[in-house]
Amino acid sequence: MVEAMKRSVFWSWFWMFIGTLYFILPLTSTFLFSLRAKKDVLSFLAYERIFSDINFWRTFTFSLIVGFFTILVSILLVVPTAYWIRLRLPKLRGMIEFLTMLPFVIPAIVLVFGLIRVFSGAPFFLTNTYAGTNVLLVAAYVVLALPYMFRSVDAGLGAIDVRSLTEAAQSLGASWPTILFKVIFPNLRVAILGGAFLTLATVIGEFTIATFLVGIKAFGPYMSLIGQNKTYEASSLTIISFLLTWSFMGLIQLFNRGKSDSALAGAH
Amino acid sequence: MSYLSISNVSKIFGGVVAVEDFNLEVEKGEFISFLGPSGCGKTTTLRMIAGFELPTSGEVVLDSENITYKSPNERNVGMVFQSYALFPNMTVAQNIGFGLQVRKTPADEIQTTVKEMLGLIHLEKHAEKYPYQLSGGQQQRVALARALAINPRVLLLDEPLSALDAKIRVELRQEIRRIQQKMGITTIYVTHDQEEALSLSNRIVVMSQGRMEQVGTPSEIYNHPTTEFVASFVGQLNLLPVSEVDLKNGVCKLNGQLVRFDHSEPRQISDKPRLAIRPEEFQFGQAEGRNLIQGHVEVVMFLGAVVRLRVRIGEVLVSVDLFNERNMTLPRVGDEAVVNFPPHACWIM
Repeated sequence: MVEAMKRSVFWSWFWMFIGTLYFILPLTSTFLFSLRAKKDVLSFLAYERIFSDINFWRTFTFSLIVGFFTILVSILLVVPTAYWIRLRLPKLRGMIEFLTMLPFVIPAIVLVFGLIRVFSGAPFFLTNTYAGTNVLLVAAYVVLALPYMFRSVDAGLGAIDVRSLTEAAQSLGASWPTILFKVIFPNLRVAILGGAFLTLATVIGEFTIATFLVGIKAFGPYMSLIGQNKTYEASSLTIISFLLTWSFMGLIQLFNRGKSDSALAGAH
Repeated sequence: MSYLSISNVSKIFGGVVAVEDFNLEVEKGEFISFLGPSGCGKTTTLRMIAGFELPTSGEVVLDSENITYKSPNERNVGMVFQSYALFPNMTVAQNIGFGLQVRKTPADEIQTTVKEMLGLIHLEKHAEKYPYQLSGGQQQRVALARALAINPRVLLLDEPLSALDAKIRVELRQEIRRIQQKMGITTIYVTHDQEEALSLSNRIVVMSQGRMEQVGTPSEIYNHPTTEFVASFVGQLNLLPVSEVDLKNGVCKLNGQLVRFDHSEPRQISDKPRLAIRPEEFQFGQAEGRNLIQGHVEVVMFLGAVVRLRVRIGEVLVSVDLFNERNMTLPRVGDEAVVNFPPHACWIM
């Protein structure tokens, strides 16, 4: 029995080691490569070049702003929808869940061509102006972020007794906006943040839609361009974007831990 | 006209009748319980009073105002839920003050009411705690205070004690009654627990399959049930097959033994008449002027205050409850038993 347990522990560590290597090795290699911009010396020259490139900041800021609006629209669209489905239309939940998964199935290229085809002509003419294209970009990203945002919010709603909380608030005289903004939204804070960070991570690195709608203005196409022309800078950009994504994930974990701590305290 | 009037109210969910022709007049300050098994329509009726469900037909009039189609947030009706439904993002004080804040009551007035409510539920020291930091009983007290803070016209409680353990349930039940009497608030209480209904209510509405079976005081419901359902749902009841029933003189035969029964109230009897008698009406031994039946003890259960026996009389098993006494000699399984009961304690169904 003890022998079997020891063996099982050994194999657990073994597979964990292999898994870690699988992730760490390419990352370490990329990182080391990014430090070799100066001949025979390890330096952060590639990083310095990236951070001093005005296009890096311009595209990064642009994608951040697009990410902010994508999150805002996603929240305003998804939270009331998911809430209403939980409250009044639970039978539709499966279908809505399926619809929100479609961005995983439909390639981004199909989505962007569809959008251009529909919204470039009458009566929209959205692609004729910069503002219009930016609106279209946000709209496309809202669709792309649907699986992350809907699943996060829906899981958050599943963790609270939506119906009882709504009815309690109603019986105390609260209107629908009061219920949404004072009862539902505050209790979904962690779920919304989780969805928001995943959305931001997706928007920051997205290439296909951004290329066809706004070109080099966005961070995704900028990274691709650097990758084609500047070898060391491309590696440093990979590490930067990796760190950015992992910081978002870390923040999600941080907020989730806060929440599970309170839940544990509540169980006692 | 009474304070709360529910007239001819029915509710049909997709062809299934949940509540059928419900009629009730409630006086101001009365404590009414809706009692019945799961799915009998008691919660649906309560939700129609609260406005969470719309009746298919009929109307609800509160304080001379027809509220049948009014939205829940305009009714000024307090509700306490089985799951407490406290807002997790708010402290105890914020939960209690929520209804007043929604009504845009001045801050100092909210503070005074919250303080008063905290005193009423004896949780003054917990004002700044969050719901997850309280026990189930404390959370339900806060839910009660929150519902009362808005000074509702009617207080509705939907199985508020079901999620609590037995001891807390009894304590909180007394607390609810104390607060209700102190505030004189008209209260509708939904429960499937007969003890709760009997101990709390001025009147009880017993429901089954969407219909009202009987409305009456706890004593009327227990001692003079009008239907077989009420008789068997509220308390324990023996239903013993009898023959040669003489309704006029109040006599019948139970396993060949002559039994007299109460025939003062006119009753309808079924094709297969049965003698109804509660287990606690029996006594052991012979007694003059009482019905006597003979049998054998088949089961003995010691329950503390009560000793429950199953006595076989021919083909039927009779439940007999004896009050425990310190020096009581317990009957043994297989013992021959003679039990007696007064004629006025049994009736024919």
